[in-house]
Amino acid sequence: MHQRARNGRAGSGSIIMRQFTTSLALPAVAAGIGLLAGVAIAVGIVTSPTAAAPQAAGSAPTVVERAMPGMAMPPAGSPTAASGQDAPVATNAVSIQNFAFSPAIVTVKAGTTITWTNRDQDSHTVTAMPGGPFHSPTLNTAQSYQYTFTTPGRFDYLCTIHPFMTATVVVTP
Amino acid sequence: MTTPSDTEGGPAGMSRRQLLRHTAWFGAAVVLTVTGGEVISHLGTPPAAAISDDPHALRFVQISDSHLGFHGPANTDVTGSFRRAIDQVNTLGFRPDFVMHTGDLTHLSTPAQFDQVRQMLGGLRTGAVFTVPGEHDSVDDHGQKYRATFGAGSHGDGWYSFDVKGVHVIALVNTLALERLGHLGTDQLDFVRKDVAGLPSDTPIVVFSHIPLFAMYPTWGWGTDDATQALSYLRRFSSVTCLNGHVHQLFTKTDGNVTFYSATTTAYPLPHPGVGPGPIPVTLPAGQLGAALGIRDVTYQSGQHALAIRDRRLA
Amino acid sequence: MNPQLLARVGAAGCLAASGVIHAQLYLTGYRSIPGIGSAFLLQASGSFAVALLLLLSSAAVLRLAAAALAAGAMMGFIASRTVGVLGFVEYGLLPAPQALISVLVEATALGLLAVALHDRRSARFAGGGRGARPPRDVLAQPAD
Repeated sequence: MHQRARNGRAGSGSIIMRQFTTSLALPAVAAGIGLLAGVAIAVGIVTSPTAAAPQAAGSAPTVVERAMPGMAMPPAGSPTAASGQDAPVATNAVSIQNFAFSPAIVTVKAGTTITWTNRDQDSHTVTAMPGGPFHSPTLNTAQSYQYTFTTPGRFDYLCTIHPFMTATVVVTP
Repeated sequence: MTTPSDTEGGPAGMSRRQLLRHTAWFGAAVVLTVTGGEVISHLGTPPAAAISDDPHALRFVQISDSHLGFHGPANTDVTGSFRRAIDQVNTLGFRPDFVMHTGDLTHLSTPAQFDQVRQMLGGLRTGAVFTVPGEHDSVDDHGQKYRATFGAGSHGDGWYSFDVKGVHVIALVNTLALERLGHLGTDQLDFVRKDVAGLPSDTPIVVFSHIPLFAMYPTWGWGTDDATQALSYLRRFSSVTCLNGHVHQLFTKTDGNVTFYSATTTAYPLPHPGVGPGPIPVTLPAGQLGAALGIRDVTYQSGQHALAIRDRRLA
Repeated sequence: MNPQLLARVGAAGCLAASGVIHAQLYLTGYRSIPGIGSAFLLQASGSFAVALLLLLSSAAVLRLAAAALAAGAMMGFIASRTVGVLGFVEYGLLPAPQALISVLVEATALGLLAVALHDRRSARFAGGGRGARPPRDVLAQPAD
């Protein structure tokens, strides 16, 4: 009698247990799959902007004030030239806007004077990287800086206040 | 013992006995969790009373990126924020052995801004005030005005080291290279190598720099290109703690024996890495700025392995 | 050692590994991050406790707690890399290698818990005399 009661209890227990475990199985498997997918997405979201060089984002080329027709484009040899927005532009006016030099690469003939104008609320500088010939004072809003390029070559420069702002002038003979 | 309710399923589809059994396991899990939590949280942290009673414990404060002279919607009163940070340091309840400002003291390196920050730092109640320069402190003169104001006793372009209560502190300058990334240079690397050459390997090392010495986000210049070389001289030490500013947000990373802690700012927040076009000042909704700003205090008790770092919101 | 027990012990091991990583990160700095520090501590100590008990018993409440701890840690990982957790945001698989390892062991723990569940049910159907219906039918049944 006692034995039968125990068996009966065990039996009903296992049925209940099975229902209980069944009710857990689906959510557990679903949660597992969902989480794995979520991790993949999260990592993807985070790594993709890194690869996409955010430097170019948000700095759409501004209207070229004085285009120089007939100017030969230099070969796209620089690493940043691959991106469409960073393609070399023939102009002698560079705007400093939204914490970026725009256009980021300009091409001029030797003897050209380039004018940089700060259109940001924050201050910026135009400073050649080590060995380069030009360095502006601090440019506040609406202030400009000019430099005349006499020797051909490639000149990388940055803003010393925000060194992530980098750009290039290519001077052709 | 066998009662009807033991054999019938309850409303939740579980017998009372099973419910009890599950409750017991759950209770055991909770008890063990609480016990384990107590044990873990006490690992490496001496009781608070022991620290304040211990005259040999080192306590210092890091403040960073005050950007005096900044004008913009992200913070319309950086001077007021910096003053609140200094008041907060002065009311911590203990007198820090020193206060380190990890750079971007000024926004545009003007003589007036340097004068203002020097005067304000003079209001700190502490044993000593130290600084390292940020790129905003060397906008147009390779750091000359910075060194004229704060460079006494430093080597080269403004680096130095000192010992306090058994801890060796190294202050580095990685903002003068005119490159996208931070850079230390061969002279400074030599300095680090010679500086630690005679130290026993169990000496705790604290390294201050403005730009992070780890690659937090190189695309935005949040890294130092030759930091690996400097850190290689520190590999043999059991505890190395690198504290930096520049990124205007808290961030922690551990790499072997070295732990990096980016500090927040007293001026204005910057976006998280990769969010938006660049590290451009973020204007928060009204009332939320204070939570993004803050100060950091650090405690080291001799015999402990790691430093205890505590970041506090600007009060 | 039957497969079900093996899966349970494996899940306990993975959960303990996740706990070790969270405890280590807690001790080496995350403790100083408001909110996040407490969450890491809870995850670590909870994982240790449930992993230990999971070696002793296969009670559903323990497997549920184990799954919740592993899933919770992974959800925290995802949230911290997307919308943020209490204003705390991290990026990609940093800190390396802890972030990657913890996600892997947590996913493995969830997988092993699911396997243990499946095997347990299959074993019961096969040996319990109630195996007329294949497990698939039960899975398709409404859970409650």
